Amino acid sequence: MKFDRSRLSALLFRGSVFTIVWWILAEGHPASWGVGAVSISGALAASLLLAPPSGTRFSFIAGLRFGAFFLLESIRGGSQVALAALAPGRLRPGLTSVVIGLPDGLPRVLLMNTLNLLPGTVSIQLEGDTLWLHVLDRRQAIEREVAIVETHLARMLLIERST
Amino acid sequence: MTMLEWTSAALLVAGGAFFLAGTLGLLRFPDVYSRLHALTKADNLGLGFILAGLALQADSVAAALKFVLIWPLVLAASAAVSHAIARRARQNGIRPIQRP
Repeated sequence: MKFDRSRLSALLFRGSVFTIVWWILAEGHPASWGVGAVSISGALAASLLLAPPSGTRFSFIAGLRFGAFFLLESIRGGSQVALAALAPGRLRPGLTSVVIGLPDGLPRVLLMNTLNLLPGTVSIQLEGDTLWLHVLDRRQAIEREVAIVETHLARMLLIERST
Repeated sequence: MTMLEWTSAALLVAGGAFFLAGTLGLLRFPDVYSRLHALTKADNLGLGFILAGLALQADSVAAALKFVLIWPLVLAASAAVSHAIARRARQNGIRPIQRP
């Protein structure tokens, strides 16, 4: 494996994340670092094998903003479903499709997973650039909401969104 | 009870309410796709409230962070599983119920 800069930074970044996760799991017990070193190395090796560094960049500020947006939307989504559960007759469920502008790979995976957790949408299948969604209420402005999530993800991953 | 304990209790009760609503949705929504909404959204929010409530009662920072760490891990699993179920349901020709 060549150690150019992006690989080295991916290695350092993932290593730090796994170390922090281990510290949390072991609740900071000093005696656990022996097992921890083995676990962290194992996790690092597995992550490098399964998801080799691909030069993905990440904006920390945009990531925080996405996190805040995600939290608020989770509350809206959960409340919407909770209200609908009390009065299921008000649902207007159905299938819909949107054309997405994020590139293949990680951005699309993140988009589909995020939409599953946000108000009123479950992603079903991707056909080319067309994403099929199940929505709880077809009167929702689905295209606009998907576009907002796409913009957040594009800013976080420092990529361009084609429209 | 201290302020912290009241906040924690309120969060736990809110979490329980969302789990109840999610289960109600699972029983009352018309088809598999709609039921996925109930499971992914209401239950995830309920879990978030319960974890926040428990984190407030934790003995150490690391123990509190452990509760916080559970949330993104469960969210990732739940998002991926609901997508897998929805895709398979569509491949098997299950049509979503569509009301006018």
